Amino acid sequence: MMAIRELKVCLLGDTGVGKSSIVCRFVQDHFDHNISPTIGASFMTKTVPCGNELHKFLIWDTAGQERFHSLAPMYYRGSAAAVIVYDITKQDSFHTLKKWVKELKEHGPENIVMAIAGNKCDLSDIREVPLKDAKEYAESIGAVVVETSAKNAINIEELFQGISRQIPPLDPHENGNNGAIKLGKQATQASRRCC
Amino acid sequence: MESRACSRASLGEMAAWTMGARGLDKRGSFFKLIDTIASEIGELKQEMVQTDVSLENGLEPSEAHSMVRHKDDDYSEEKDVKTCPRDSGYDSLSNRLSILDRLLHTHPIWLQLSLSEEGAAKVLQSQPPGIFLVRKSTKMQKKVLSLRLPCEFGAPFKEFAIKESTYTFSLEGSGISFADLFRLIAFYCISRDVLPFTLKLPYAISTAKTEAQLEELAQLGLNFWSSPADNKPPNPPPPHRPLSSDGVCPASRQLCLINGVHSIKTRTPSELECSQTNGALCFINPLFLKVHSQDLSGGLKRPCTRTPNANGTERPRSPPPRPPPPAINSLHTSPQLSRTETQASMPETVNHNKHGNVALLGTKPTPIPPPRLKKQASFLEAEGSAKTLTGCRPRPGQEREPEEPGPGTAGGPGGAPPAEPPGNCTRAAGPESRPPWHGGRQRLSDMSISTSSSDSLEFDRSMPLFGYEADTNSSLEDCEEESDQETMAPPIKSKKKSNSSFVLPKLVKSQLRKMSGVFSSFMTPEKRMVRRIAELSRDKCTYFGCLVQDYVSFLQENKECHVSSTDMLQTIRQFMTQVKNYLAQSSELDPPIESLIPEDQIDVVLEKAMHKCILKPLKGHVEAMLRDFHMADGSWKQLKENLQLVRQRNPQELGVFAPTPDFVDVEKIKVKFMTMQKMYSPEKKVMLLLRVCKLIYTVMENNSGRMYGADDFLPVLTYVIAQCDMLELDTEIEYMMELLDPSLLHGEGGYYLTSAYGALSLIKNFQEEQAARLLSSETRDTLRQWHKRRTTNRTIPSVDDFQNYLRVAFQEVNSGCTGKTLLVRPYVTTEDVCQLCAEKFKVGDPEEYSLFLFVDETWQQLAEDTYPQKIKAELHSRPQPHIFHFVYKRIKNDPYGVIFQNGEKDLTTS
Repeated sequence: MMAIRELKVCLLGDTGVGKSSIVCRFVQDHFDHNISPTIGASFMTKTVPCGNELHKFLIWDTAGQERFHSLAPMYYRGSAAAVIVYDITKQDSFHTLKKWVKELKEHGPENIVMAIAGNKCDLSDIREVPLKDAKEYAESIGAVVVETSAKNAINIEELFQGISRQIPPLDPHENGNNGAIKLGKQATQASRRCC
Repeated sequence: MESRACSRASLGEMAAWTMGARGLDKRGSFFKLIDTIASEIGELKQEMVQTDVSLENGLEPSEAHSMVRHKDDDYSEEKDVKTCPRDSGYDSLSNRLSILDRLLHTHPIWLQLSLSEEGAAKVLQSQPPGIFLVRKSTKMQKKVLSLRLPCEFGAPFKEFAIKESTYTFSLEGSGISFADLFRLIAFYCISRDVLPFTLKLPYAISTAKTEAQLEELAQLGLNFWSSPADNKPPNPPPPHRPLSSDGVCPASRQLCLINGVHSIKTRTPSELECSQTNGALCFINPLFLKVHSQDLSGGLKRPCTRTPNANGTERPRSPPPRPPPPAINSLHTSPQLSRTETQASMPETVNHNKHGNVALLGTKPTPIPPPRLKKQASFLEAEGSAKTLTGCRPRPGQEREPEEPGPGTAGGPGGAPPAEPPGNCTRAAGPESRPPWHGGRQRLSDMSISTSSSDSLEFDRSMPLFGYEADTNSSLEDCEEESDQETMAPPIKSKKKSNSSFVLPKLVKSQLRKMSGVFSSFMTPEKRMVRRIAELSRDKCTYFGCLVQDYVSFLQENKECHVSSTDMLQTIRQFMTQVKNYLAQSSELDPPIESLIPEDQIDVVLEKAMHKCILKPLKGHVEAMLRDFHMADGSWKQLKENLQLVRQRNPQELGVFAPTPDFVDVEKIKVKFMTMQKMYSPEKKVMLLLRVCKLIYTVMENNSGRMYGADDFLPVLTYVIAQCDMLELDTEIEYMMELLDPSLLHGEGGYYLTSAYGALSLIKNFQEEQAARLLSSETRDTLRQWHKRRTTNRTIPSVDDFQNYLRVAFQEVNSGCTGKTLLVRPYVTTEDVCQLCAEKFKVGDPEEYSLFLFVDETWQQLAEDTYPQKIKAELHSRPQPHIFHFVYKRIKNDPYGVIFQNGEKDLTTS
């Protein structure tokens, strides 16, 4: 039997870039018996196999408006991964993305897996952010990057597969306790930002 | 049927019995008779359950039995009858002890979790084939059944791995699973299933006539195997080999008895969802239940394993609670303690009777609208006990003896606990003023069978979904625990209303009430374990009970010991975590928790138990303290102003661009929040928060099919929280944030809790936000500190920190006895404790006083250089529990010291 490992994933990005659409698409595309009962689209879960583990993504959506930015630390704390979304038709949103990356580097959990999603790639004729820019930037920070279209279900699976691959497999000595890794991370993080 | 008076007379005996009289065998034959009737009713129930489960309309029992047979086809009846002394139920007059009883009483003999493989081999070597042990294999990291084989098998013994799922135990390779280890073993004593032959109990155990004999054997523990007590039968019958699969199965009843319902390993998805606790919070989303309810109605042929298995005969298994402490104890115990005790013992009767009713009713319950009077009675009670939680904490006068039929409940079906005296009931009028949407009322009136407060809506909620039989199971999950918590309204209000109205003839009911003990076994192992732990926590003779009680009273007496609300909540959380760790390792739980609860559920069960035995008694205190803190630091005043300010904004100004709840919805939400305030369990509170969020989402989506993410949700949530205008929400959220099991913080509950906290922070900083459009750096810091705290909390703490309490009684001739819990570290000497006492008890002439230990009815003055904590530890480590007290009193033999006249003599000699 495969061990289920719970991974908290936090969604960041400007309002209106389609954060929740991506998750909705990801979670609902295939009928999945394991979808947990869900209150609403701001928290969703989906379990996917990865190697000999099952990754259960606990996806935390955040509010993208500027006024809520200060709440973000509560949402990304303890996350194994962050999906930072921008809109390829809005240069501003790419700028915000960079701010998020910076914040995560400074205050986010150590070793957090970062994935950049350039959403709305179905609208590439009005594109403002060249794919090349995104790729270069992602490479510079060691992040996964894909252009997605939640509308047309392009690259959504790939985005999360990319995250799964970046998650280090469980140390066999840790006895399948998925909390252990998160714990370690949090602990170090806490000491680092000791206030 | 006996007359009413008769049964009433027996009641006292039953009570004494359940309360802990050990000399069961000494009971008169009259009581044996009652006992027998009781167990037979239990069985009757089983049969009926079977029938009902398997086929909608009542059928011949044999058909139900044949069902069992399919699963057990290698079963050979003839031989079993010879080898296994069984209680078929109807011979119970002569031989009352079932296999399960025998197993439960003697687990110290065969349940040897820490035994090594070599150790097991050594024990089994000298045993006849069929004898077994259960131990934990370090190699496999699993429990294993070590079975002695006959010589023709080659190896002397073989180990069978025991598989533990979230809710069940089963043998590797078998499709039959059991609610706990005892039932598993009992089953394999009768049926071999995947084993080469059935298990055999040691001769001494299988032939013991009374529980006392079994207890005596159990005392030997592992030494039993090498002691003369383990005598061999004159002619050990060979273990029977598997026979062909045909042959009738008359013992199937026994099987049913063992496992409650003949068990099948699968569960319906709804059941799984019901208590899914891994990762995300284990919230039952009734929406989801609904989805699967079709499974159930369509496939009732699959009885669920969760059935709180067991038969009437299982009852004597739980060791009787210790007798109430001697008189001196009451001098020390605070009223709260006695209160909780009585309160918590109450629900038992209720559940069982309820199910008893169902049982006796058997085939076709007739739905009759409940008589008005009963309706009212139930209603009052439910309300009344809900109030006990919210309102006045200690109500020492409110002693409830579950076995005593109160005058008010005579008509109450199902033997509800006695109604409160009229004075207490006055508040029951409250619900009348509630908005009609609230389901509680209509539900309560629906439940003619389950009158009591403990049938909270968990029961009710599941009812329409699971239908009649299945419901008995699922309701048991919850109805016991949060007995004092006001029912929660399920988000889905469209429910059938009719199915629970089964009314029993009065006579039957009154009979059944007397049998309450019989049905105690209808609880799930989880329930039972939580209850056991709660009982233990009130027993100051146990180390655990001492820890908990000392801590609780310390908190209550020392209001000044915390500097802030978070500081207080944090220490409580830490204490719970530590006590959990202690309990997981200690041997004070008997039978060990591992034998009743699958391993991955142990923590969940312990967490629940902690809520019950720590948060429940502290709830009032914590609430009051939180309020005080926020009043004192002015944060509520500011919050109040800001709430006002935010409420004056229109939704768009708050960034809301989705439909918002109207006035009626806001009222609904407010009621949910008010219900939340009545809960002591942080998880249940979070569950209600989720219901609020669900409601908000429903309004937002408004059938538009649009999915809203956090961009839209958070502003609406902020808007709603402002509209609710409840200051208490601040402390509620704080309570949940700090006390929720850290492992649940990543799930759905954690998410919405975070959002609610965020929304409230936005409101608190609304003015600043307008200026700066950003939260103050102060809030940011608070968030970070919170994060840090909650993460560092998870480092494994040691119990040591909490061993530092010492309860000291202060005895004065004139003023009687008062008690205080003091902070006393392990290496603090008696001298220092005396000093502390002089201070705390405001003694003018401390040289006249000293610290005494009262133990075994004798007094000892403690020397100045002794360490009270060491003495306490030593007393706790003794095999037999001792009742002891540290008493601070005058050294000189007081001529007026009437109270301790017996003990004083010892003092003078010492």
